[in-house]
Amino acid sequence: MSAIICKELCKTFHQGEQVITGLDHVSIEIKKGSFTCLSGPSGSGKTTLLNAMGGLDTPDSGEIWVGDTRLDTLARGALADMRLHNIGFVFQAYNLIPVLSARENVEFVMQVQGVAKGERRRRSDEVLAEVGLQGMEDRLPSQLSGGQQQRVAVARAIASKPKLVLADEPTANLDSKSAAELMALFESLNEQHGITFVIATHDVRVMGYARRLISMRDGLIISDEAQQSHSMVV
Amino acid sequence: MNASWLVVATLAWRNLWRNYRRTLIILATITLGVWSMIFMSALMRGMVDEIVRNGLETLPGEVQVHAPAYRRDPSVVNSMAMPDGDFLQALGESPVVAWAARVRVPAVISSERDSRGVVLLGVDPSAESALGSAPDNLVEGRFLLGVDDKGVVIGASLAKRLETSLGKRIVLMSQNPDNDVADRGARIVGIYKARLPGTEDIYVYAGRAATQKMLAMGEQISEVAVTADDYRAVQSWYPNILEAAGDELEVLPWTALDTFLSSMLAVQDGFALVFMVVVFLALSFGLVNTLVMAVFERVREIGLMLALGMKPALIIGQVLVESLYLLGLGLAAGNIIAYVSIRALENGIDISSVAQGMEMMSMSPVLYPALRFSDMLMSTAVVIVLGLAASLLPAWKASRLDPVKALTKT
Amino acid sequence: MNVTAVLAWRNLWRHKRRTWLTVGAMIFCNILLVFLISLQLGSYQMMIDNTLSAFSGHIQIQHSAYNEEQKMYQNVPAVAQLANTVRAALGNEANVAARGVAFALASSEERSFGIQLAGVQPKFESQVSTFPGLINHGRYLADSHAPEIVIGAILAQNLKVAVGDELTFIGSGLDGSFAAGVATVVGIVETGFAEVDRAVAEVPLAWFQEVFAMGESGHSVVIRLPALDSVEPAVARLQKVLADDPILAGAGLSVLDWNVLEPGLKQAIKSDMVSAWFMYAVLILLVAFSVLNTQLMSVLERTREFGVMLALGTRPATLAKLVGLETFVMSCLGMGLGVLLGGLLSFYLSYSGFYYPGMEEMAQKFNLPDRMYPQVSLLSLLWGPAIVFLGAMLAAIYPATRLFGLRPVAAMRAV
Repeated sequence: MSAIICKELCKTFHQGEQVITGLDHVSIEIKKGSFTCLSGPSGSGKTTLLNAMGGLDTPDSGEIWVGDTRLDTLARGALADMRLHNIGFVFQAYNLIPVLSARENVEFVMQVQGVAKGERRRRSDEVLAEVGLQGMEDRLPSQLSGGQQQRVAVARAIASKPKLVLADEPTANLDSKSAAELMALFESLNEQHGITFVIATHDVRVMGYARRLISMRDGLIISDEAQQSHSMVV
Repeated sequence: MNASWLVVATLAWRNLWRNYRRTLIILATITLGVWSMIFMSALMRGMVDEIVRNGLETLPGEVQVHAPAYRRDPSVVNSMAMPDGDFLQALGESPVVAWAARVRVPAVISSERDSRGVVLLGVDPSAESALGSAPDNLVEGRFLLGVDDKGVVIGASLAKRLETSLGKRIVLMSQNPDNDVADRGARIVGIYKARLPGTEDIYVYAGRAATQKMLAMGEQISEVAVTADDYRAVQSWYPNILEAAGDELEVLPWTALDTFLSSMLAVQDGFALVFMVVVFLALSFGLVNTLVMAVFERVREIGLMLALGMKPALIIGQVLVESLYLLGLGLAAGNIIAYVSIRALENGIDISSVAQGMEMMSMSPVLYPALRFSDMLMSTAVVIVLGLAASLLPAWKASRLDPVKALTKT
Repeated sequence: MNVTAVLAWRNLWRHKRRTWLTVGAMIFCNILLVFLISLQLGSYQMMIDNTLSAFSGHIQIQHSAYNEEQKMYQNVPAVAQLANTVRAALGNEANVAARGVAFALASSEERSFGIQLAGVQPKFESQVSTFPGLINHGRYLADSHAPEIVIGAILAQNLKVAVGDELTFIGSGLDGSFAAGVATVVGIVETGFAEVDRAVAEVPLAWFQEVFAMGESGHSVVIRLPALDSVEPAVARLQKVLADDPILAGAGLSVLDWNVLEPGLKQAIKSDMVSAWFMYAVLILLVAFSVLNTQLMSVLERTREFGVMLALGTRPATLAKLVGLETFVMSCLGMGLGVLLGGLLSFYLSYSGFYYPGMEEMAQKFNLPDRMYPQVSLLSLLWGPAIVFLGAMLAAIYPATRLFGLRPVAAMRAV
């Protein structure tokens, strides 16, 4: 079964007079329960591809399917609903809402979904414990370290039990220890809950964890290979 | 839906205090605006109330009944009979609280030193008091004792002009229905001061029966003045009197008797709204500016919320709720300060330095601000409705942000 | 342009929308102020002109106590002669007329009324008062001794007389004697103002003096001047004339200007001014708050940038000057555009007129026409906007003072 299917995706950007190719006829299929890394230098198109998969950005042409839903033809509101219920996001650091505490950040998505209060509380306790943040539930983002903030973001992404989590450079602002912890967390979530992970990164520490490593350059997929595990990473 | 609005409400509230200086300044702006709306309305209401009340006191009454030709030609020949039958009965029915039958004719009053043209009022002192048109400030002597009282009560200013005083005799001159000069000597039994010195020169009070005898007009009277103590409600009971008085008489409410007074009321109601809208427009620039800034600073966060799947409608809601908090807090503070400041000035603002200018507008030299619930309500409505309308644009802009671009904005 | 000015200008346009919103508040307020002040000054001017030109004139010479008490014996001896003296003293610009006033019981065949009868010099009266020009039945008085009278329309209605009818007057003469006379109605004045139409009753001064045994005396010399600002010098001139003449000096006369003659007028204007300025003050304060908010925001968000500038050796005073300059540029834009647009609006309305529904009755009370015409002048254009300008500059003080507390390193680290 496929979690995501992309067919012939194209996307160009205009920067001044220059036309930049974001995606150049990219076709790819992501299996359910897989753990995939999109790698490549800046401007290679990995973030564009990730955004397209998450329904944050629409391609100029091509098709994207997430589960049974075709994203590229959906309206703004329907896309928002899709993101809200089916996809978890983890961005670069500092993507928490600064006026909300750790718990409130986690509950935020569920609250917008309309999950009942008791259930929200139970879930947020559970996921915060799962990411190792017991006792820090009521801290504001400014009172947490970068790694802790990123774990709150992960907790938020998985709180609504999505089948798919998309992460864009999740370790960009983290030290090695925090980065390793975060990746270990991703890995265990993938193994225990069967959540599909797609991570865009140019951090080699992250690539080691991937079962499938896709390399991109100039909007093209230049390699796509399965790997064993993270054992090779020190 | 409820839960998501709750999160919006929480977010909006906390966002408000991230930049507390800006929030406090805009709150001060809204408070000042709301206070000025209510305070200014209260001053204007006080002013107009005063003008209308003074006007009705000398009119007097809220409804008057005359012989049809009287108002054009206020002469003794254009008189009417005392109310009887249905008419008399109607005058006794609620909401009428008092009525007075009066003789009112132009006359000349002479002392041994000088003469003046005046309006001679033949009144029943008890009815006049009930009507509220008897002079309320007698500085010397007494008011009339009954319809047969042979004395007269004149204004202090008139007494000065005539170089006469309490207890002295004056001569009243007018004409009787046969066109002959009717005159009688009378003693001054009382001297009054009026709120408006102008009226002191004009009105001379005498007993009604004594006046009827002097003018040889039998039991006839010039007018019936009726009051129900609430000048704004006159239209509700005026038709009763109109019907009961019959076709032979002219029955008019004060709005028709004194068009200046009624137009004052209408203009003032309109002006209060114009003033409120103008003040609001002046402060709306600051409000919109604050919201634009608030959205601008939070572009990344808004992008994040959109990326997480928050509906654009909720983003609009969030900005509107934030605006609503500002408006609500400003309104509360403005209303409270307005209430307190108006209550503090309830005993009147002394404006005697411009007393004669005020007299030109039929006002006395003390201004009583009149706080009205409807003005507080109107200012609240203006601020909320226009405030939300003004917030729509920044809110809509925020909801249209592209999450990808917004997220990467530094 | 020095570098601070360039910086100030560029900084303003970093937040185009915010700058325009702040300038917009000033423009809005300035347009409103220019319009309202023009309207106010226009209507005051008209109120004064209409009221004074009706009857009272700009200046009167009277017996010192007459204005207060209006007694017949408080008279001006040889009033016509004094009027000539005044005319000679003030020159061609001034219009001068002598008057006598007495109370009388006027009777027609059917009705009697107590009235104030004015004895006037027909030839000169039409130069000091607008009533003679407002005759709409018959004619004004001829310059003679003839027993003729001109009365107001409502008085005529009350007395039930028309042109050609006779009126009998009974009163008392200057010496306390019984005075009586008969005059023919030759004209009826209709101004539309009830109070005037109820009160006007004018007869030739010579006939008046005869009937009321006044001899050569009267009660006032009325002077109408071309403009309000010539009142003060004229009063001074007349006071000198009175003091220098040995006979006049002893007659107990005084020179009264329009403030004394119509004390309500100036106060009505003053009270209107006060209430209007309450409203203006609110508007100006609101604009000042708006500027305060904008400038405080722009200072706070540039904390890091200012930290860098301080670290590079810029003095806090220079930064404060920068903020002041930014405010100055905004205020200039607000003032320039506000005065321009407000001026255009007022200028247009000063020709086409301005109407507010329900205003007629109020306008009548103050001798104003139904349509209002704003009066555009340098004063009305700049008075309000200048204060807005000042308020905006004052509002920048608080944000600017915050710069003096900045420490470069801490500021550079600020988010």
